[in-house]
Amino acid sequence: MAIVEVKALARSFHSRASNVVALAGVDLQVDEGEVFGLLGPNGAGKTTLIRILSTLLLPTSGHASIAGYDVAKEPEKIRPLINMASGAERAGYEFISAKGNLWFFSQLYGISGEDFRRRVNALSNQLELGEYIDKKVYALSTGYRQRMTIARAFINEPKVVFMDEPTIALDVMTARKIRDFLAEEAHSSKRTIFLATHNMAETEAICDRVAIIDKGKILVCDTPDNLKRTFGTPAYVVEVSPPPNTMEIFTSIRGVKGVTTTLDQERGLARVKLVVEDQEAVDSVLKNLAAANIRLLSSWRQEPTLEEVFVNLVGRGFTERELENAS
Amino acid sequence: MYSRAWVRVRSTYGEPAWVAVNLAVPLLSSSAMGLLYRSAGVGNYAGFAILGGIMLAFWGNVLWSMASQFNWDKEEGIFEIYLVSPAPISAILVGMSLGGILATAPSAAFVGLIGWKFFAVSMHPSWLAVSLTFFLTLASLYAMGMLLSSLYLAYGREAESLNNAISEPINFLSGIYFPAIGVGSPFPFALQIAASFIPLTIGMDALRKSVFYANGVTIVWLNLVVLAVMAAVLLVLGDRALKLLEERGRREGTLVVRLR
Repeated sequence: MAIVEVKALARSFHSRASNVVALAGVDLQVDEGEVFGLLGPNGAGKTTLIRILSTLLLPTSGHASIAGYDVAKEPEKIRPLINMASGAERAGYEFISAKGNLWFFSQLYGISGEDFRRRVNALSNQLELGEYIDKKVYALSTGYRQRMTIARAFINEPKVVFMDEPTIALDVMTARKIRDFLAEEAHSSKRTIFLATHNMAETEAICDRVAIIDKGKILVCDTPDNLKRTFGTPAYVVEVSPPPNTMEIFTSIRGVKGVTTTLDQERGLARVKLVVEDQEAVDSVLKNLAAANIRLLSSWRQEPTLEEVFVNLVGRGFTERELENAS
Repeated sequence: MYSRAWVRVRSTYGEPAWVAVNLAVPLLSSSAMGLLYRSAGVGNYAGFAILGGIMLAFWGNVLWSMASQFNWDKEEGIFEIYLVSPAPISAILVGMSLGGILATAPSAAFVGLIGWKFFAVSMHPSWLAVSLTFFLTLASLYAMGMLLSSLYLAYGREAESLNNAISEPINFLSGIYFPAIGVGSPFPFALQIAASFIPLTIGMDALRKSVFYANGVTIVWLNLVVLAVMAAVLLVLGDRALKLLEERGRREGTLVVRLR
């Protein structure tokens, strides 16, 4: 059942100097208990969409609803049902303990003392806050601050949680812990996690479905596997020695669509990534290598990534797009 | 509401250096004025300076820990958490006010106690008038803080400059350390009228009369009425301004400052 519905949603920002179209007609449906990823480079419109859905910003046109309530007209009905967290916010008030901060934020939702104790114990266990729950926020590391931020976003047991880059600048272990927590909350407690990120690994790891957004438009929306299957191209990687003098032994083969080479001079080998159409092309590559007396050290098939899906859809990568957006 | 008050009190006493600053600054400035009165041969006016120090502690709290608090919260990403929650912003501000009063009361009491002992201040209080005046002065001051909060949200990063810009003129015009209106005022009549629009001026005038000259409610009633009206008007204006700003912010995208 869809809990988030977005139809032809548009938002632009006007100033004397410029007119920026942040969202240009977005259509989406997100189901209850789903981890939904909104993937796109910085400046694509992710944060704007989250702000509209979390009632912080009005759309210029179009319609969006949470649990059937209109985000523009009924924010007071939506607010008890949602919460949000971002990787850039301050975790809370510095001179108060993490638990004290969580209690304060729970009071914004009118949560009783008993419910708060039950909830904070559960969240503390799930996010492994341990003894840090009683420490003042200024004494917490970045990782524990972010765990606290995530705990805060779930303190009211929301139906929909909006997350904006929740694992940005975190160490691998903390990021993994948070991702596991988000997936568990979605699937066991039927909470919808709406995750805006430009982290491909994060999206692939936990999202049930992903929408790729660029320049305020949703380009595609599907499961990560379907997106990769439909829009990605599997690659075939070979490590060969000695490095070939020319790439012609690969590029001359029909069915080889792209070649990128990395030289490892220390080990005297080349790693060649080939975008191939079919197994026949791979067989031809192996034959050509043997004919040129180039030894095949290893080979493997590389699955396409979401970044490749984005490149195939837009014609350039995230970094290039972010540079364009910034200029 | 009470949870925000708790946050304010805990934050104020969470850092020993802050506690020392909260106690020392009003005490030092009012002591300086008291010594000045004493050296000028009007030591009996030192009580004005001590009373000024007490009220200065609250005024400083309104200006620095309340009016500009939402702007800091906005810059740190906490304001949007308030907005996304079902809690009314005005309730959060009232909580902030109550917390501010509770957090400032010990330092105000400290100033009063030390000043009273050191300068051997002679008082003739009319306690009912003192209590009513004190309560209504704080109500109007913190209501003014609520209104300023909404203005600071609109002005954003200029909030600190605005604080600096209005802090000293209000200290001066409101007569923290001397009578700004009525008998003994050094100001011309027009300036006295202008100063009367500041709640602190009306409150300080009534407090001086009721603490040092035993003037009862029947004498300071006009001050009490003006303070009550100011508190009510400022509360309504603050609440409306916050609602308007929230709507404007939702329309123009100015409720949050982080841009990605």
